[in-house]
Amino acid sequence: MDTQGEIVSQSPYQGPGITDVVVIDDEESICEGCRQTLETGGYRSEIARDGIQGLKLVEQSHPRVVLVDLKMQGMNGMEVLTKLSEFDPSIVSIVITGYGSIDSAVETMKIGASDFLTKPFTPEKLLESVNRGMELSQSAREKRVTEGTAQPLRVPEKAPLNKQNVLLNGLEVLGQYYSLGLKERQFFSELKYLESEAEHHAERLGRVEEKEKTVLDIVHDLRLVDNIIQGYGYKKNVLIQILMDIQAELNWLPSHTLKWVSMRLNIPYANIYSIVNFYNVFNLEPRGDHIIEICMGTACHVRGAAGLMERVSSLLGVQPGETDSEMLFTLKSVRCMGCCALAPVMKIDEQYNSNPKVSDLKKRFDNYMGKEESS
Amino acid sequence: MIKLNSPHDLEILRESIVSKRDPNRTCVTVCSGTGCLAYGSHDIFREFRLEIEKQRLGEEVDLRRTGCHGFCGRGPLIVIFPEKICYLGAQKEDVADIVSKTIVDKELVDRLLYKDFETGEQITRIDDIPFYKYQKRILLDNNALIDPEKIDDYIAIGGYSAIAKVLFEWNRDDLIKEIKEANLRGRGGGGFPMGVKWETTRNVPVDPKYVIVNADEGDPGAYMDRSLLEGNPHCVLEGLIIGAYAVGSQEGFIYVRDEYPLALENTKIAIETAREYGLLGENILGSGFDFEITIHRGAGAFVSGESSALMNAVEGRVGEPRPKYIHTSVKGLWDRPTCLNNVETWANVPFIVNKGADWFKSIGTENSKGTKIFSLVGKINNTGLVEVPMGTTLREIVYHIGGGIPNAKKFKAVQTGGPSGGVLPEDMLDIPVDFDALTEAGSMMGSGGMIVMDENTCMVDTARYYIEFLAHESCGKCIPCREGLRQMLRILNSITRGVGKEGDIELLEELGEMMQEASLCALGKTAPNPVLSTIRHFRDEYEAHINEARCPAGVCKELIIYHINPEDCLRCGLCEKNCPTNAISKDEDEVYVINQESCIKCGSCMSVCPEKANAIVVENAFRPPFANDLPKTDVAATTIYST
Ligand SMILES: Cc1cc2nc3c(=O)[nH]c(=O)nc-3n(C[C@H](O)[C@H](O)[C@H](O)COP(=O)(O)O)c2cc1C
Repeated sequence: MDTQGEIVSQSPYQGPGITDVVVIDDEESICEGCRQTLETGGYRSEIARDGIQGLKLVEQSHPRVVLVDLKMQGMNGMEVLTKLSEFDPSIVSIVITGYGSIDSAVETMKIGASDFLTKPFTPEKLLESVNRGMELSQSAREKRVTEGTAQPLRVPEKAPLNKQNVLLNGLEVLGQYYSLGLKERQFFSELKYLESEAEHHAERLGRVEEKEKTVLDIVHDLRLVDNIIQGYGYKKNVLIQILMDIQAELNWLPSHTLKWVSMRLNIPYANIYSIVNFYNVFNLEPRGDHIIEICMGTACHVRGAAGLMERVSSLLGVQPGETDSEMLFTLKSVRCMGCCALAPVMKIDEQYNSNPKVSDLKKRFDNYMGKEESS
Repeated sequence: MIKLNSPHDLEILRESIVSKRDPNRTCVTVCSGTGCLAYGSHDIFREFRLEIEKQRLGEEVDLRRTGCHGFCGRGPLIVIFPEKICYLGAQKEDVADIVSKTIVDKELVDRLLYKDFETGEQITRIDDIPFYKYQKRILLDNNALIDPEKIDDYIAIGGYSAIAKVLFEWNRDDLIKEIKEANLRGRGGGGFPMGVKWETTRNVPVDPKYVIVNADEGDPGAYMDRSLLEGNPHCVLEGLIIGAYAVGSQEGFIYVRDEYPLALENTKIAIETAREYGLLGENILGSGFDFEITIHRGAGAFVSGESSALMNAVEGRVGEPRPKYIHTSVKGLWDRPTCLNNVETWANVPFIVNKGADWFKSIGTENSKGTKIFSLVGKINNTGLVEVPMGTTLREIVYHIGGGIPNAKKFKAVQTGGPSGGVLPEDMLDIPVDFDALTEAGSMMGSGGMIVMDENTCMVDTARYYIEFLAHESCGKCIPCREGLRQMLRILNSITRGVGKEGDIELLEELGEMMQEASLCALGKTAPNPVLSTIRHFRDEYEAHINEARCPAGVCKELIIYHINPEDCLRCGLCEKNCPTNAISKDEDEVYVINQESCIKCGSCMSVCPEKANAIVVENAFRPPFANDLPKTDVAATTIYST
């Protein structure tokens, strides 16, 4: 981009900070409409009819909020968004889309857009969204000014001093930064900061090693969650799939991962919690190394699944749904695996067994215990 | 892969695939449905590959992994084409024999052939085995011919020609008319005519519209949807694409339950390969019609299979039903018109398009056309998937196809319709199985689960089983369903524990009627069926539990004790070895006895006791009601049954 010295002169206004909103759209009627509406709302705006021109304007006039049309000739909305957040993460961008296609709009959220408007939109909608954008931008700017760089919140004095708490508190702030267009790299450096913060507390408490591991685990989990969410393109409606994928990786759903999902997808934590509780497949407790499932389908039931469950449960010394104290076995009942010919069926990890004998089970379980001990 | 740009391209591709295949060439197919995989069919397949390589037969013999053949009770299944020789229950060790004898020397391996239960006669060809002979396999037949991971296999047998036909030769109205004319009714439970649904969705002037495949299959004991998706996913895709075209939808979803990993995997592969060929995605076959499919995984909740609940789940919310004041075909997913059908219903569509409504109508009864797949399971000799014309009698299914009840036990009842259905006792065996006749008989078609029960199945326990299932699966949103089920379960639990009271049966009936009237969705409305129908047909069993604290079938744990008959005992010690609580030991006379204090009544001893001995007997604990604390051993005992 060519910036010819001090650009102030080219602006109809008088320098950085005077323009509140830049509207970038290739439809004249939209631009004009926005300008008028914004004026009635007390905002000064400038308009640009394509991406290049728009970015120039932004550089010149340092607005707080930018409205960007996604579909434009030449440089498209996505590119503009990327450039914008590189230029100044505290600028809040709002996407205008013509398709009502929420998915593609949500796509844009991950490269920094903070909100989107679907055409046609009412003046009220526009003002509402811009008002919110102004607030966000304001708080982001204040932080930049007072602290030099973005800093996570401090842990409240009274919270128990463990790393998990430090992290969880910090996450909320991070989530906000991220939606303001923080880059991946910056995001993880923030996490690092939290980590060291947590380390510090842990040292004061003693038991450093254990704590250190906890923190590293949490960081690992959050990265994993991020990758999974990204893989699904930040769609909210695939929440259940996302949760299942997380569980497939971690074997259960630790609360920090749920919290993270809630923030990244902007879904209330309570909703996520209710989904996790509703479905049988989700585990809010860690599971053992070996998952033993007994089918409770009707075919299995009439062929003695209840007896099989009694047997296995008494051999392992755990009730259905429980994990033994060594974290070796989790015993579960399942609603029909659909292999009724093998009824009653038991599945150990991925292997199906038709009505296994107690003598064989004893051998197998002993074997697992022996192996785990020697390794 | 090349992109197909016209029906002509598809035909050329088909010809080139077919021309490379010689129908007379030997082809070994190994069933790789979940059932057979569990029996080790994966190892068998690998062994075949090694053996064929070892004997240098690669030039003459094809080897193919196929979908479920349906005869799951006798897996793993091996079928050798073109003769269609069928081997049952083969193990890895048998493979070398099969290759040298059957493939090289053209001889049979007798020990792996089917033997008739009564005559002992050996049967060679798969089609002659009674289990298959009495079926009419339209949907399932192709499972045995194709490798579900290979789209070319499906194209070779005429796959995707129905799409070419509707996109280029028919208009939407013709298509909807044909499906309406065929009177294809939904296979997922309700039996609603598919064509009417299509028309409604089509006529709503709102876009976008959606189409959905319901592969949640929550009915425990039913697995035909899984088998179709696993074994022939393209057939379902083809049906869905045709439906999407008919209603004017460009986006579809397949909702697969998480317990079906293989179905999920095969469907994924099918979608990818169909897209590569241009049979899915933009501009399908150059027709200008665009359509995309997304797979959505279910997470194990029965009620999520209900249409409005399923749509909630696809939207990313909790899979609970919502009130359907407006039908989902008008206002469904994201409040847009949505056409949702069951897997099997969709799979029927390409056949109707290819062969015509008249052909379809020639099969079945007056108001139920075509075939239906049932999963015939429980106390039955031939467990498996059975496809028969609508109107086939239960007797034909249970006795001719299913081969009757194992171990010379007496038939008691068939349960159909899953947790929403009911039981049909012996005197109803001759009713023709179709939507209306089953409803009339007090049960329902449901999704096609058919669970056979014998004299050792307790009907009170069966009712308790379903109610426990439903109480767990009820979303709790409406009170009649939530509380009704809870109270029913409480009563049934006390009856099966021998502490039922007079008046309990009437109370159950009353509760049932209330739930039928007042529940929000079909789950609650149909939930009392298992209780009401068992009361209707087996009231005496309820009364035995309540009045005498006796379980006539010898199932209810609190009412029975296990005992070893010293006269029959062979002293083999198997029961001792297989007792999980070490409750069995020898007494001073070298006779095995069960210590009743530590016995948990799991039935392990009974299942291992050698057939020629049958020394374990189940006896009535004969406890009078309200006397739980009597020591079990002091109680008079009468034998109920032995193995
Ligand atoms: C509690 C409940 C569970 C259901 N589960 C399933 C299911 O697992 N699979 C299915 O296809 N239909 C299920 N249904 C029926 C669906 O609501 C819907 O009627 C059906 O999928 C429509 O497809 P069809 O017309 O092709 O049968 C269920 C209904 C209820 C009330």
